[in-house]
Amino acid sequence: MKLLSSYFKEMKIAARGFYFYIEIFFAVILLVILLVAVNEKSVSKQKEFLYYDMPEAFKEFVIQRQIDKGALKLIEPTEFKMKAIGFEVKNEETGEVETYNFDAEIISLRTYQEYDLDTGELNKTAYIADNEEDMIRLAYQEQKIGATVAVNDQGERSFRYYNQGYETDKFVNLLYILHNKTPDVLAAAVESQEVTKLGDIQTLNNRENLVPVMVVFMGSLMGFFIVMAYIYLDKDEGVIRAFAVTPSSIWKYLLTKTMVIMTTVVVSSSIITIPVMGLQPNYFLFYLLLIISTFAFASLGLFISSFFDTISKAFGALYIIMIAMMIPAFSYYIPSFDPVWLRFFPTYPLLQSMKEIIMINTDLGYVLTYSAVFLGGGVLLFVLANFRFKKTLTV
Amino acid sequence: MISVKNLSHSYSHDDKLAVNNISFEIEKGETFGFLGPSGAGKSTTQGILTGLLKQQEGEVIVAGYNVKKVQNERFNKIGVSFEQSNVYSKLTAKENLDYYAKLFDVPTRDSMELLHLVGLDGKENDRAGEFSKGMKHRLTFARSMLNNPELWFLDEPTTGLDPAIAATIKDIIREQAAKGTTSFLTTHNMYIADELCDRVAFIIDGEIKLIDTPKNLKLQYGRKLIDIEYIENGKVVKETLKTVTEEDRRRIGEIVNNHDIQTMHSKEATLEEIFIQVTGRELV
Ligand SMILES: Nc1ncnc2c1ncn2[C@@H]1O[C@H](COP(=O)(O)OP(=O)(O)OP(=O)(O)O)[C@@H](O)[C@H]1O
Ligand SMILES: [Mg+2]
Repeated sequence: MKLLSSYFKEMKIAARGFYFYIEIFFAVILLVILLVAVNEKSVSKQKEFLYYDMPEAFKEFVIQRQIDKGALKLIEPTEFKMKAIGFEVKNEETGEVETYNFDAEIISLRTYQEYDLDTGELNKTAYIADNEEDMIRLAYQEQKIGATVAVNDQGERSFRYYNQGYETDKFVNLLYILHNKTPDVLAAAVESQEVTKLGDIQTLNNRENLVPVMVVFMGSLMGFFIVMAYIYLDKDEGVIRAFAVTPSSIWKYLLTKTMVIMTTVVVSSSIITIPVMGLQPNYFLFYLLLIISTFAFASLGLFISSFFDTISKAFGALYIIMIAMMIPAFSYYIPSFDPVWLRFFPTYPLLQSMKEIIMINTDLGYVLTYSAVFLGGGVLLFVLANFRFKKTLTV
Repeated sequence: MISVKNLSHSYSHDDKLAVNNISFEIEKGETFGFLGPSGAGKSTTQGILTGLLKQQEGEVIVAGYNVKKVQNERFNKIGVSFEQSNVYSKLTAKENLDYYAKLFDVPTRDSMELLHLVGLDGKENDRAGEFSKGMKHRLTFARSMLNNPELWFLDEPTTGLDPAIAATIKDIIREQAAKGTTSFLTTHNMYIADELCDRVAFIIDGEIKLIDTPKNLKLQYGRKLIDIEYIENGKVVKETLKTVTEEDRRRIGEIVNNHDIQTMHSKEATLEEIFIQVTGRELV
């Protein structure tokens, strides 16, 4: 009862302040950007360096067949300015290490655009190198995938990939699938088990792909920040002290703050998610994780604010935490950047979970596991914040 | 109602004491004045008694509860009026009171009645953020009465208010005292203490110098003075004499018996003069 009346009072105050509207306004802006400025269709910026390790005539035959089907289109050759460079390449299977050294030069490569045969979409740009060394060197310098395409005795095509060394397995598997999608690729060449496992992989279009990042940004970061803003507004007005001399407990006060944040976040995230995703996401899971994670980050905000008298003193901690929470967004957009340490940042699993939720084939286990982790962490932080607040009320 | 034994407090947790080994008892129904200059430790003591500050040394029992233990229900019996007003500026005067009332488990007073009492009627639907300092202070004061407190903490209840409003506040405090409310009143205004308090404590540098009723203090320390003007040899002579010393009293008798008295006024030493006399310090 006290909790509910406190909640309504806090909502009333929030509705009369500007933080609430900032968040809503922000959500609307993001939605407009998503709908107007982000093209749903993915304009592929993927590049691929290929070397065909086969007789010239056979190579031309293979390429010509693709062109006839509409899968490849020859465009203007591309010039690459190559730097003088030296590096090592390690074969993952044999462990052999080979050293390469190159001089600076300019290489011109035959360039093709690859199209998706089903949709007719541009998939990526492929550059055909004349020798394997050039291909390896280009892949290294441009930080892109390189591959040697060969034909075995049975006439089956096989690929040997040159990766940067930090890609995830999932990413490497995705490479196989991209090739597998071209119908004339012989299935035997890519018969690895991962392929069948990931065979029904579903991807999000550009616009949809932005939704998890925006939701996590609005929920966690804004929740964390705004709860602190609210606490410092109250500290400024001294109303926490007035609250402390009533029979009501501090935890109720703190909980109503997180409830206000959760309400705001539910509203702002819905503004973004519903128009973009429609009915596709599992909204029960979506709101469950949204509310739990917002609670966790708001509790973190409460905990941090219990250490500082004023928001300016808290600013350093606030800044560092906000930046740290944003780093996993890089990994989200750059699949090849996925170091292990990044997984310990709470927004990393949160982004992945949100992505899982808005996709059709949600990995329920992953989402529920992390929902439980966030709930546990949130409760722990909340208890700590409550404990700290009880100790730090001053006259 | 309040029992304090050997209470000490240091904000820096060292030997720099804001409150130094103080002890006192407050009876039920008493209005107890805590007097001292700025920085004496008044608000610190009140902070400990109301549980806002963690108690460090000594033993404090307030309204039957040991303040060391966290028992929030004790606040059903307690009202606190803060030195610095602290109300929600985004809420109206009435909303501030109505919301606060909901936090108690006991019957509360009508918010409109309280607003009327402190002269804020007509302002009930204005946001507290638009209030003047004095109005906010009155709202904070009114809020402290919501739960009909048995024990009432008043930190500088009239400071910064204009005389007419201060008089209203004083009347309210007197009225509550008549109803049996126990009050712990903190002030550096001796007149307020004199007018309202049954007993006063003089506190300075965190130490209590003495505790007594204003009347006793005046009897004990107040040199009751008499100004006499009389005619001697055709001229008006003026003398100021103390009523407490034997010598002066004989002299008064002498003058009255032998001279023509023009005027004769007695005047009382103020509590402020007594404070200076006892502590050697001014009340700033
Ligand atoms: N939050 C605090 N941190 C550190 N020291 C403090 C704090 N609050 C008060 N003090 C110190 O404690 C001593 C007592 O202060 P207190 O506020 O209790 O005085 P006061 O008698 O209420 O004065 P005033 O009449 O100005 O309100 C002062 O020396 C003050 O500087
Ligand atoms: Mg004070």
